[in-house]
Amino acid sequence: MVSDAGADELQELMRGVVRRERAAFAALYDRTAPQLFGIALRILRQREEAEDVLQEAFVAVWDRAASFDPGRGSVMTWLVTVLRHRAIDRRRRRAHLEDRLGSEEDLLALTAAATDASDRGASLAALQKCLGELDEQPRRAVLLAYAYGYTHEELAGRLTTPIGTVKSWVRRSLERLKRCLDG
Amino acid sequence: MKYRDPKLRDLLAGEYAMGLLPPRARARFERLMAGDAELARLVADWQERLAPIDQTAPPVAPPRRIWRAVEQGTLQRSFPAPTRSAGLLQSLAFWRGFAGAAAAVATALVLFIAMGPGPARAPTVVAVLADSTGTPAFIATRGERGEEVAVAPVRSQSLEAQKSFELWAIAGGPPKPLGLVSARPGKPLLVPASALTTAGTVLAVSLEPEGGSPTGLPTGPVLFQGKVLAELN
Repeated sequence: MVSDAGADELQELMRGVVRRERAAFAALYDRTAPQLFGIALRILRQREEAEDVLQEAFVAVWDRAASFDPGRGSVMTWLVTVLRHRAIDRRRRRAHLEDRLGSEEDLLALTAAATDASDRGASLAALQKCLGELDEQPRRAVLLAYAYGYTHEELAGRLTTPIGTVKSWVRRSLERLKRCLDG
Repeated sequence: MKYRDPKLRDLLAGEYAMGLLPPRARARFERLMAGDAELARLVADWQERLAPIDQTAPPVAPPRRIWRAVEQGTLQRSFPAPTRSAGLLQSLAFWRGFAGAAAAVATALVLFIAMGPGPARAPTVVAVLADSTGTPAFIATRGERGEEVAVAPVRSQSLEAQKSFELWAIAGGPPKPLGLVSARPGKPLLVPASALTTAGTVLAVSLEPEGGSPTGLPTGPVLFQGKVLAELN
C-alpha cells in the first residue's frame, strides 16, 4: 500500500484535485487505483463489476473532492470509503449469491503476524493483534464483513449461526477492538 | 431519540464503517451524519481503525480503459446543459426532429448558430454529422471553456454487436482517429478543440470492429460525416 511519505504526497495530489487540476487527478489515479481495484475485486470477485465500481468511484472522487476533510483521516482511507460502499451496494444487488462464496483462505493471512516495519505495517500489526484476541467465529464474521462485504444474512449462512447471534458477535467484536486499539 | 445514546451511536458508526448497515438504515445514517459533525468523527475514527485490513487486498493494475472512462466521465462536467437563451436550435430534440432535411440546410443552420448572437460562454454546435440521406445523426458541441468538443448521437443509432463507431478528423492528410463514439446519447466523446482547428476539417464516423480500427485508419464504411463550421479558436 502507500507508505507514509506516500501519504503526504497523496494529500498534496488531493489538494490539486480540489483545485480542479487534471494532472493531479491523473497522478492520484495512478498511485491509488491498483490498491482500490484489489479491494473492489476482493469484495465483488468479478472483474467487470469491479471495473465499473472503480470507474464510478473515481468519478465521484472528482465530483466530491471538496468534501474531503484532511483533519478526519488519510486520503487513502477516504478513497477506500468512497469505493467500498459502492462495491458493497453492487454486491447486494446481485441476483446469484452462490458464485461469490469462494474460498476465503487468505483470511488466515490476516491474522498472521505482520513483519512490515513501517507505520502502516505497525497499524496492521496492532489490528491483527487485537483481532487475534477475539474468538474464532466472531473474528471470522468481522473479517468476512469488512474485507469481503458480507451482509449479516450472508454471515449467518456462512457461519451457520442465527442472524441475531451474528449481529451481536459483530457488535461485541467492535467494542473489544476499540478498547484494544485505543487502550 | 435513540441516536442520542453515545454507546449506540458509536456502534452504528462502526457498523456503518464496516458496510453492514442495510441500504435504508445506511441512507438514514448518512442524513444524520451530514448534520452531526461528532457522528461523522466517530465514523472517521472507525474507518481509520479498520483501514489496515484494506492493505491485505493484493493490488491489481486495472485496465487502462478504466482511466479513459474516468477521464471522459469527469471532463463531461465542464459541459453544462444548453442555457435557455441558447434556445431551440441547440436542443437535441430539435435535431432529432430534423430527420429528412438536406445536409446543406443543416450546414446553414450550424453557421447561423455559430455566428449568431448569444451568450459567448454557452455551448455551441460546431458540426452536424449526417448520414447519406442528409439526416443528422451526431452533433459536435463546444463546451463552456472551449477546450473540448463533445460528440454524441442526437438519438440512439443502431450498431451491430461486436462493432464500434469510431470518430475521425479529416483535414487533407490521412484521417486522424479521435476515439470511439457511443451509439447512444448521453455519453459524449470529448475531443480537444485543438484537433479540429484546421480550416475545412471534416468529422467522420466509420463502422469498425469492436474497440476500434486495428490499423489506425478507417477500415469500415464512413456512415456519418459533417464539416466543422464554427471558428474554434
